[in-house]
Amino acid sequence: MLTYIVLGLVAGASYALASVGIVLTYRTTGVFNFALGGQAMFLAYVFWQLRDQWGLSQWIALPLLLLVVAPLLGLVLERLFRTMASRSADVQLVVAVGILAFFTSLVPIIFGTDQHQLPTIFPPDKSFSVTGTFITADETGTVILALAAGAVLWALLSRTRFGTATKAVVDNRDLSGLIGINANQVGQAAWIISTMFAAVAGVLLSTENNLVTYVLPFLVIYSFAPAILARLNSLPIAYAASFALGVIMNIPQKYNLTDFTAKLVPQIPNILLFVLLIVQGRRLVELRSSVRTITGAHVVGNNTRRSAVTGIAAAIIGAVAIPLLFGESTVHNIAQAMAYAVVALTVVVLTGWTGQVSLAQMSFAGIGAFTAAHVAGTHGALFPLAILDGVLIAVPFSLVVGYLSLRLSGLFFALATLAFALLMDGLYFSQNSITGGSTGLNLTAAKIGPLSFDSPTSQFYLCGTVLVLAGLGALWLRQGPIGRRLQMVRDAPEAASTLGANLTFTTIAVFAACTAVASIGGALLAVTQSTVDPSNFASSTSLALLLAVVLGGRSLISGAVFAGGVQLIQLLPLSATVHRYLPLGVALSVMMVAQEPDGLPRVSLQQLNYCKEILYRRKLRDWMQLRTSSTRTEAAAGTRA
Amino acid sequence: MPEPLLGAHGVTIRFGGLVALQEVDLEVAPSGITGLIGPNGAGKTTLFNVITGLLRPDAGTVRYDEQDIMTWSPNRRGRAGIARTFQRLDLFVGMSVRDNLRAAWESNIPGGVFGRRSAEGVALVDSVIERLGLAEIADRRAGALSTGQGRMVELGRALCTRPRLLLLDEPSSGLDATETNHFRDLLLEVVSTPAHGRSTPPAVLLVEHDVHLVMEVCDQITVLEFGQQIACGTPQEVRNDPAVVAAYLGESSGAA
Repeated sequence: MLTYIVLGLVAGASYALASVGIVLTYRTTGVFNFALGGQAMFLAYVFWQLRDQWGLSQWIALPLLLLVVAPLLGLVLERLFRTMASRSADVQLVVAVGILAFFTSLVPIIFGTDQHQLPTIFPPDKSFSVTGTFITADETGTVILALAAGAVLWALLSRTRFGTATKAVVDNRDLSGLIGINANQVGQAAWIISTMFAAVAGVLLSTENNLVTYVLPFLVIYSFAPAILARLNSLPIAYAASFALGVIMNIPQKYNLTDFTAKLVPQIPNILLFVLLIVQGRRLVELRSSVRTITGAHVVGNNTRRSAVTGIAAAIIGAVAIPLLFGESTVHNIAQAMAYAVVALTVVVLTGWTGQVSLAQMSFAGIGAFTAAHVAGTHGALFPLAILDGVLIAVPFSLVVGYLSLRLSGLFFALATLAFALLMDGLYFSQNSITGGSTGLNLTAAKIGPLSFDSPTSQFYLCGTVLVLAGLGALWLRQGPIGRRLQMVRDAPEAASTLGANLTFTTIAVFAACTAVASIGGALLAVTQSTVDPSNFASSTSLALLLAVVLGGRSLISGAVFAGGVQLIQLLPLSATVHRYLPLGVALSVMMVAQEPDGLPRVSLQQLNYCKEILYRRKLRDWMQLRTSSTRTEAAAGTRA
Repeated sequence: MPEPLLGAHGVTIRFGGLVALQEVDLEVAPSGITGLIGPNGAGKTTLFNVITGLLRPDAGTVRYDEQDIMTWSPNRRGRAGIARTFQRLDLFVGMSVRDNLRAAWESNIPGGVFGRRSAEGVALVDSVIERLGLAEIADRRAGALSTGQGRMVELGRALCTRPRLLLLDEPSSGLDATETNHFRDLLLEVVSTPAHGRSTPPAVLLVEHDVHLVMEVCDQITVLEFGQQIACGTPQEVRNDPAVVAAYLGESSGAA
């Protein structure tokens, strides 16, 4: 028993460090650092590079990591989020997801894609015995290090001026400025400390679990549950809960676990996260709740008719031209990208129109995909019936998730959907009975009457038709009463409810409708894949989908098409460089346009017009030789200097 | 006095250590204008939030139309005919003025969001636009309006729900003298004209800083100070109440 408790404490030590990192930056700057896992991973790789690749002594590498690299990274992140200070939760969330994606795509580029071992930072091969149980120096060191770091932080916060300043900033950011506390400096310090904690957590987790790009960020998500239990406020509770979580997860290992319970145990943190969010939801105060969602995002009043005509025209041209211009495999990829765009459309409606960031849309698509594959692929039922079955299974899921979590404000709703997506990964898509085990499932035999969808061209027309219909449907909804209702929810929810609008009903209905469409999109994805692969519907794909949609314009239907385009580039057999740098490029550009509901294409167009205008003006000025005006400008600049 | 349309009794609400409202009673007659005045921070807007269901009081009851509505959600109260405006403008800034009004109508009609009975809504919205003189700005985006125009749109939005009880939270703040006079005429017209499809005009509960305006238009006035009711009566009674003179009107009472 003691062995498992010790193992639990060791795991808990890393969660404790990470959860403290999250609570600290949230308390002082109001940013929920979704990307902490990315930071932790990046810093663990940096440590590996310094010590194991360049052969620096640990006594140089570790201080270099903790005192130089981590603080610098912390300062950069603080700076990045400070510009977001007045922005709403959805913008911050998008930026944080962008940073996470940035790190997960940067690390393979810098450090390669191979899995590495990270030897412990404590003396290896040393152990001692406590009542017959061997405990290694590594284990003891890990727990002591975490406790010591916590104690130092506690002393810093309760015994120093910095601590007092932090308290003032936490209480009231604006007032603290009046009494001479520089809230920005406090924020910087918090980010530095938080990143140092992330570095230690990253190194400790990597020595236990090896250096793997896609594992570490998700291990750090385990620390979200303790942070939420501490209501993102109490550091001691976050600490204690993390250790407790580690122990709770390790004790079951002592017993013989069935297949299902073995899958259940790693999901304990995600279950806890979901339950805690629901239970504590109303008491969790979003620090930025006074900030409205992005201004300028209009659902209603856009030029619906023009969009519809453009869309239909593009669809007709595409329908004729694409099968003529491209080979079978490309047409097949385009079909798959269009199915992806159908799912992306639900992100536009949820994130762009109602302001609710759902991180589980691909999971809902997955439910649709596997249900359709079972019903039509295995049992040979009609394809429309199979799609309907997918919808009928996915929608109840969304009603439960929606009913439980839509009362939560933006950030916490997003976290709840993330927890749901992770649970789907671990408990649903991992079941052989659902995914068809090693042979997998396929839907190539899908049929509607005499039409069968086994050729790329037929799949292309199927997905294209659904995408166009879904897009037109969304346009039609937007310009009517439902569009107005969504805009009300975004703009002034309190006023809307006093006027008689039932917002809970509205948001749940929209969420359920989006789930239905996502599951249809999932079924289409299944049609275009020879084997329906659960990894195509993992929670990480929902994050990537969100980023692609934000980049394309989350308030625009064309944003969904853009996301489909990004997916297409990933599907096409391009050079490895493109595939490696594309996610990095997406992540970086998302950080730039996170505040723009119209996304990168439209913003670039505006910038281009602006540049043109300046050039035009300059020409005009030269032509008219308006030297007086330029003299005046220089004079004004002189006075200002 | 007839049975009041709205009766709040013993309403108490605390924010941490601060007592925002302490055992406040308020009655609104089924017709006419009831005034609610008091210095800044007296708890007027808080009382509005309690009546409309945005805040749950720690103690006290609110009865509306002879029913206890304490457990009702804000939207149920809205559908029962309670409409309000906001002191800090709370418009649907991304929509045109016309859409603001339409959205209000749709919110208050069962199935309105599905577009049923939309012709009726268009007619009502057009009549409100005409009554309030909003025709010129009807197609402007609500986020681009001046404060005065915004207040008119908020009033119009509330009227589009065809309210039986209209709560106005400082409707004249931010208005100049001409606009205030115009507003007063409008207010008197609102309380004398039944809304489309209603037999009686709405009762109004008015929170207002402009004492002149309040004394001029109100039938009954309740005075709050530091979360407590210090006076209640006709304008004449309130004007002569020594507690009010001391607390609210202060030394300028002679001028008022």
